[in-house]
Amino acid sequence: MSSRRSRVAGLRAMGAGLAALGLLASGCGGGDAGADGKVTIRYSWWGAQDRADLINRTIDLFEKENPGIEVKTDFQEYGDFWTKFNTQAAGGNPPDVFQNSYAFLRKYGQKNLLLDLNPQVKAGNLNLDDFRQGLGRAGEIDGKLLGVPVGANTFTLVYDVKAFEEAGVTPERGWTWEDFDAAVEKISEPGEDFWGASSNGGVMYLYDLRLRQQGKAFFTEEGLGFTEADLRKWWGDHRAKLDDGLLVPAKQAAQVLPKSEVSAGLSAAEFTWDNFLARYVSETDRELALAPIPTMDGERTAQYLSSLMLSASARTEHPEEVAKFVDFMVNDPEVGKIMGYNRGVLPTNAQFEAYEPEGPDAKIAEYEKSVTDQLEPITPHPAGTDTVEAAFLSIYRSMAQGSVSVDEAVSQFFDEAKTALGS
Amino acid sequence: MSAPTGTVRPVRTARPPRTGAPARRGVRSVLWHLGALALLAVVLYPVVWVLGGSLKPGDEIVGSLDLLPTDPITGNYERLADGIAGIGIETFFVNSLLVALGSVAGVLISCSLAAYAFARIRFAGRDVLFALMIGTLLLPVHVLLVPQYVLFQKMELINTYVPLLLGKFLAVDAFFVFLMVQFMRNLPRELDEAARIDGCGHWRIYWTIVLPLCRPALITSAIFSFIWAWNDFLGPLIYLNEPDKYTVSLGLKMFMDQDSLADYGGMIAMSVAALLPVLLFFLAFQRYLVEGAATSGLKG
Repeated sequence: MSSRRSRVAGLRAMGAGLAALGLLASGCGGGDAGADGKVTIRYSWWGAQDRADLINRTIDLFEKENPGIEVKTDFQEYGDFWTKFNTQAAGGNPPDVFQNSYAFLRKYGQKNLLLDLNPQVKAGNLNLDDFRQGLGRAGEIDGKLLGVPVGANTFTLVYDVKAFEEAGVTPERGWTWEDFDAAVEKISEPGEDFWGASSNGGVMYLYDLRLRQQGKAFFTEEGLGFTEADLRKWWGDHRAKLDDGLLVPAKQAAQVLPKSEVSAGLSAAEFTWDNFLARYVSETDRELALAPIPTMDGERTAQYLSSLMLSASARTEHPEEVAKFVDFMVNDPEVGKIMGYNRGVLPTNAQFEAYEPEGPDAKIAEYEKSVTDQLEPITPHPAGTDTVEAAFLSIYRSMAQGSVSVDEAVSQFFDEAKTALGS
Repeated sequence: MSAPTGTVRPVRTARPPRTGAPARRGVRSVLWHLGALALLAVVLYPVVWVLGGSLKPGDEIVGSLDLLPTDPITGNYERLADGIAGIGIETFFVNSLLVALGSVAGVLISCSLAAYAFARIRFAGRDVLFALMIGTLLLPVHVLLVPQYVLFQKMELINTYVPLLLGKFLAVDAFFVFLMVQFMRNLPRELDEAARIDGCGHWRIYWTIVLPLCRPALITSAIFSFIWAWNDFLGPLIYLNEPDKYTVSLGLKMFMDQDSLADYGGMIAMSVAALLPVLLFFLAFQRYLVEGAATSGLKG
């Protein structure tokens, strides 16, 4: 008796469950074009909630001024963003417009995933005239405009002001690698947990600048722009400095991750992008400042601006609306005021002037102004750049830990780079 | 009279060697407990670290090696109440619960049905199909990712929970099917033969005989499928496109990115909050697990 009742109840529950799933399916499947003629575009980016808060405010502004367009947003952390993007792109369903970086333009351009925005520029939906230092065309590859910068950054040395003062070295325009090495040697004291510089030999962008100062570059249009002998010298020098106790040892550096070595108080100097200063300053009590990259000849730093960009998907059904959206995000002064330097120094004059930087942002703005006349065109980033960059860093790290020799590390890197760039 | 003493005597004679042991046994028991406590400390360390971390200010979480905060704060939890990027955190929990409970329901219904068929019905190609099903366990997730995405994309089911749940209702989780098949094979066949003689069909046998006896297997499956669905990251990441549809595992990642200052305090406080439902679910059901194992097969 009781078993029969429970059977009936159970079957009913099962049926209810299946029906609920059906409802879920019918309730959630939504079309792209609204019945009221509104166009919906999907916009995704990588970032944490602080960036999302800012972007959401700029989107509210955009939607107010463009009542016919609705923007749906989606954001993830950097690594997850690309996992999702690649799956969506493979499935033919990428977002209409998304945050991109110069390093990925060729990779996705070659796969025909990115929309050429030049026709939209001609049609007047996207204005590139107001960009600083010709940034407007920075995303143009083989005549196609694949990305528009939303923020620009250049490489820098973040240094601990007090430590450099005590060493008696002033990092200023035109200083040389010899000056830098002398400072590092003076600051590093044996027996103390403080080293002259972070172990940055695996940072692709730093080595790129060093090569450019010698008239080479990390990449040519087709592949690597340096030889195994070049890299053996670069990593060999770092090995020697690590052995002499001048650079933060791999073990200590790994322990403070995800903090950087300079903001964790382990080192007095670190090469990185200038927009990282804001983050570093908030992580430490030490006074940090920005200095230009040391030179070989006392003049040329070989620095360039790189940028986060907005790219549109080649499959978007609304290229015009997407172009208007990008135009608004890079040209509107209010957007500049809201975003600040969250994605780098603002790209257009209108936005750059509308935003009044404070604290670390003011230092970044000052630094970018001071190096403006030295900026050169960017090194080409072939498809596979991201893989090469990751390999360069991880192989350097295992060399720094001592698990492989310099020679092994160099040949391992060249093997991996050939595979990554060959495809 | 003689019979009881006769039964007691051998016990008495057996006692002396045992009564001499308590002191040594006591030492051994203390050692055993100390060892167990030491192991427990190792196992629980990360949990204590997370609990301690949730009460520390952000810069102390990464910078300091102390297990517990020197000056506990509740700010991390208070910040959670404001939500993440304009979305209340209860949204993430409701979404996760929907997915996790949906998964449990789907797995219990579909996997037990599939298992009954494999365990009790002789049909053509059963062994081949069973082997194929086990074979699906060997397929890496990444191989299926893109084809599945394309499939759901064509069906216009992206940005719904259907891709996350449909498989559960179609007995795609071979592991649970396997678990239940093994369990059902151990149930005495006489029980369903008796039911058959009484006139039961397969549905009735499944529902009134096999399913109640399978309770331990069902509860194990429920606990695992709940935890797996709750913790699943890749599925929701790929299929959900709007932050207000996100599950807790995605919400957790909104606190950090390489480009910005990570809010470790908020993230760890959210982790603690995310642990609770899983813990409660486990606590609520684990007693049935033991109970079920003790009584299975004894019900008339």
